[in-house]
Order: sequence, then structure tokens, then C-alpha cells
Amino acid sequence: MKLLNTLLVLTLGACLAVSAQARDKRDYHEMVYDSGCKTCHDQGLKSFPSDESCLQCHDMAELAEQTKREGHDAKQNPHDSMHYGQEAPCMECHGEHTKKQALCMDCHNFDYPKFK
Amino acid sequence: MQTRRSFLKFGAGAAAVGALAPLTVSANSSDVKWHEKHEIVIVGSGFAGLAAAVEAGKLGAKDILVIEKLGVYGGNSTLNAGQACFANTDLQKQLGIEDSAELMVQDQLKSGRGYASEELLKHSAELGPYIYQLTKDCGCVYRDHIINTGGTSATRSHQVVERSGAGFIRPMLKTARSYGVKTKTRHKFEHLITAADGTVLGIQVRKDYHFGHEDSGTLINIKAEKGVLIATGGFGANVAFRQALDPTLGNEVGCTNARGATGDGLIAMLSEGAMPVHLSFIQSGPWASPDEGGFGYGAGFSLYNFPHSIAIDRNTGQRFMNETADRKTRADLEVQRRDKDGKPNPALLIAPKHEAQKDPSMENVLRYNVAWEFDSVDAIAKHFELPTKQLKKQIDDWNKYVKAGEDPQFGKRMNMSTGIYLTAPFIVQRLWPKVHYCQGGIQINTKAEVIAAKNGQPIRKLYAAGEVSGGVHGVSRLGGCSTPECMAFGVTAARSMMKA
Repeated sequence: MKLLNTLLVLTLGACLAVSAQARDKRDYHEMVYDSGCKTCHDQGLKSFPSDESCLQCHDMAELAEQTKREGHDAKQNPHDSMHYGQEAPCMECHGEHTKKQALCMDCHNFDYPKFK
Repeated sequence: MQTRRSFLKFGAGAAAVGALAPLTVSANSSDVKWHEKHEIVIVGSGFAGLAAAVEAGKLGAKDILVIEKLGVYGGNSTLNAGQACFANTDLQKQLGIEDSAELMVQDQLKSGRGYASEELLKHSAELGPYIYQLTKDCGCVYRDHIINTGGTSATRSHQVVERSGAGFIRPMLKTARSYGVKTKTRHKFEHLITAADGTVLGIQVRKDYHFGHEDSGTLINIKAEKGVLIATGGFGANVAFRQALDPTLGNEVGCTNARGATGDGLIAMLSEGAMPVHLSFIQSGPWASPDEGGFGYGAGFSLYNFPHSIAIDRNTGQRFMNETADRKTRADLEVQRRDKDGKPNPALLIAPKHEAQKDPSMENVLRYNVAWEFDSVDAIAKHFELPTKQLKKQIDDWNKYVKAGEDPQFGKRMNMSTGIYLTAPFIVQRLWPKVHYCQGGIQINTKAEVIAAKNGQPIRKLYAAGEVSGGVHGVSRLGGCSTPECMAFGVTAARSMMKA
């Protein structure tokens, strides 16, 4: 029994250690992780990164171009929408360590098949 | 739907956590460490807040701050249908519509069922043409067509071409910035900071706040020289709060509001002794669809089609309401549509495609599974399990009413559907009300000053405008009548602060 408890503690401990070191993450951001947490967490590790943080690498105008939609759907471009233009900060829709969905989906049944 | 529901549950939890935190801090000015100082501080970036910012800018204010709790601007205002009722505009004259501020006030008093404030409604209606021009000066573009909304005796709902409040918010935000107005997102208003005599000195704000993470960011104190305008909107998204006030508004009923509509500004003003008015008068939108979250596309489709379409109870195959009655009348009747076990059985709005297709909303509802097309009455009856015979008779009867120009069934104003017969193919959308607007709030006067409960006098340097204020509309607000009122009292608050 004692051994079982010890094992349990060890296993749990290992799990906790792993989750503290590397939480849910996106593989394509591997190089950012290599540079350290502060690369994104510009306001301290316990705080959310600033809204400018993602824009060190990403450019809103470029993203708007990439997700451009035509005709009827033009205003549904999530990076240049009718409601928020190009001003919606990345973290309103995207999560790095938590799963999120686009803000638009609060009210609309849109299809964003490439949403990450 | 799933998202909205899980969010609503979460919203209630967040509100409970908020209740544990201290609600108010009164302090002597000498005790407070001020991190920032501005001439005018505006809390909220919806219609009321931005109209105030634009007007204060026009009047020469040099240092205006607008803060917004969410990561995006516009709050709930950017999510509606972009309609505003103005009486006596150039566009109405061009279209041969006779109207007046007096008539608009009369319509609103009727819908307010004896509870509306004639003084505040009159103030707002008389400012209508000014607000109409102000929005155009900001770059807002109106359609040539004026919409008829429920409960009105003249067609007066002017709509921006975007058919969304975004068509007001974005040009107004841009104009405000052109006056040098500083705008900040992720700044959550925590509470007022007052002097010993109750004068409002400033506010405490949680900077870098992320919605739903109540301890995110850092607290800062912001001093306001001329005053603070609270324009934080309603509390429709705060399920615990709204259900305490109206037990029928639990999770079964959705909500059209933006996430941020949790009532923070209202609660903070109540804790400073502001007079609460009509808090239980909470309006549900009768044009909402249960097949999408929030305001969505369904509302626009229903709004366009209600005048020439019929709403059908699925048990009887019959109409059950005047489809253009005021919102409360319709929402109360819609929520009574139940199956034999008492479970919600949303009514059907049946519209003729030949008319529905004239508005872009049809394409949206069809594309996103909010409405469906049927080529015959039999097909509708089969799909939704309706009594076919009754439904056929109802549609035949309705078409007779259209021809006669009179609705003996529910007394609907039939001059809106002249010559528009309900014939196949049909577009059908389900109807289930969603919490939409809080008529209640704290009391204001015609200077947009907040009134104290203990003595009926204004609280010095505290102003409120828009949905957070209460008592304007009474029991039920008419469609398209909040937007102009939010802007009118935002403008009024700016004028009061610049005069004080």
C-alpha cells in the first residue's frame, strides 16, 4: 500500500512538473519556445502577453490579406471584419495554451475551416 | 449555441466572484495615488460613450479618455441592426413620411405602459435630427429606405448601410480619435473614487484586463477633472443578476448582448447610492433565432419580414400574435409556445421568398442554417410536423387580409404589406426570444446627471448615458429607439461636463 502511494505521488509529481514546464502549445511556435517564455510574455510570466506581443512576428494587414474573402463574405474576414476592422487583438480569438474559437462565433455560424 | 450556453454559465460564475470583491472605495482626494489624470473620463465605447467623446471633442475638450473593458471597441452597440428612430428628418420628408418628435414620444409612452419618462423621451426625441446629422458628419452612411419597427405610428427607423451598429461605431471611433480622444481597450472599470461629500473624483480601473480573468492586469487610479461618464450598457449577459430581477430569464432564454454586458457600471453606481429605476423591466427580442448565438443574422431577417409575414404556432398551425406589435407583446407570446411536455417549441416565421429576397438578410439566414426554403405549404407542414389543413387555411385567410387591407385576427397595420401575398416558395425561420435590453438602470435627469437615492439630487461630477440609465423607456422599449437615446444622452453628458 505504501509503495502504491509512493508511486502515485511520484507519478502525480511528474505530471505536474511536465504541465508547469510545457503546457498546451502549438508546434509551429516551437522556435518561440526555444527563445524562452518571455519572448511572448512581455508583461511577466504570470500575466497575459500584451496585445502587441504577437505582432512582433505577425502583421495584421498581411493576415487580413491572407484571410480575405470575396463578394458577399468580404466583411466576414476575421482579420478585417465589419465590426472591428483590423483592430481585434489576436488573443480575442486565438489561444496558445488554451483552446479558443473566433469571437464572431458568439453570434454567427460562420465556417472558418483553417482556424487555428 | 453550445458556446453561448457555456459562456452564459461562466458569466454567472464570474458575477458571483465579483460579488466577493469590495464594491466601493470612498477616499479623500489626498489619500489617493493618481496614476493618470484627464479632463473627461468616459467608461464604455458604445453609442453613448463615443457620442459623448465626439461632442466633447467638438466643444473643445483637450484631454478625453474612453476606456473599454473588452479587447474590441463598440460593446453591444456594434452588434445590433444599425437602426435609429429619428423623427422629422430630410429623408423622411423625401419619402413623404409625416412625423414629429411629439408623435415619437407618444408611441414610446404607449409602449412604456405608463412607466416611461416623458421628460427624458422628449429630450431625446428633440435631439434626434441633431444626432442624425452628427452621425452623418462622422461618416455614417444611411440607406435610402426607412424601416418600419413594431409599435410605431410612422415609419422612422433609419438604418446605416452596414445594417449593423458597426456602421455607427467605426466612423464615430475614427472621428473621436481625430479630435485627439485617447481610446483604450482592456481597461475594466472597477469602482468610483469619491470625496467625503460624495463628489466623484475619478475611477479605479483594471488595466490589461482579460475578460473572464477577474484578477488579470493591474489596478490604476484615474482622475477626472470635469467628470466621469458611465456608459457601460446593460446587464443582459449576467444571468444571475437578470434572473434575480426576472425569474423567467434563466439559461432557457438566450441573449443578444456582447459578452461584456454584465452590469459592472450599474453595480458600481448603485453602491455609491445612485437611484435604481425599473431594474426588472428586461426586454427580450421577439425576432431572435434559437439556431445561432447572440444577435446573429436572424434578427435582421425577421425585422425585414415581420410586416408581410406570419408567425405560426407549431401545435395549431395558426397565427398567435400581431407580428408587428411591440416587443414585449410579441416576446411574451413567443415564449409561451411549448410542446405537450412544456418544453420550448419555437414558433415559425413564414415569409414569401419573392419579398424576402429583396433584403440581403435572406442570403445570410439561408447560408448559415438560420432559415430554410420550402417550395410548398405541405413541405413546411411535413418538415415541422404542423397540422397541414389548419396551416393552409391560415395562409389563405392571411392572403384575404392582405387583399382587404385589414387584419381581423390580430389588428396588424396592413398598409405595410399591400400587395405582398404569402405565396410559395417560402422562407421559414424559427422564433425564440433572447434577452436584449435592460430598460432599468440608474436614474438620470435631462442633463445626464446621476441622481442619488437618498435625496433625489445629482451626484456631483457623475454622469450616465445609454442602457445603464433607467426609466427612459418604461416597461418596453420600441425598436430602433435606444440608439438615438444613447447618443442623445451621451451628447448631453458631454455638454453638461463642458458647461460645469
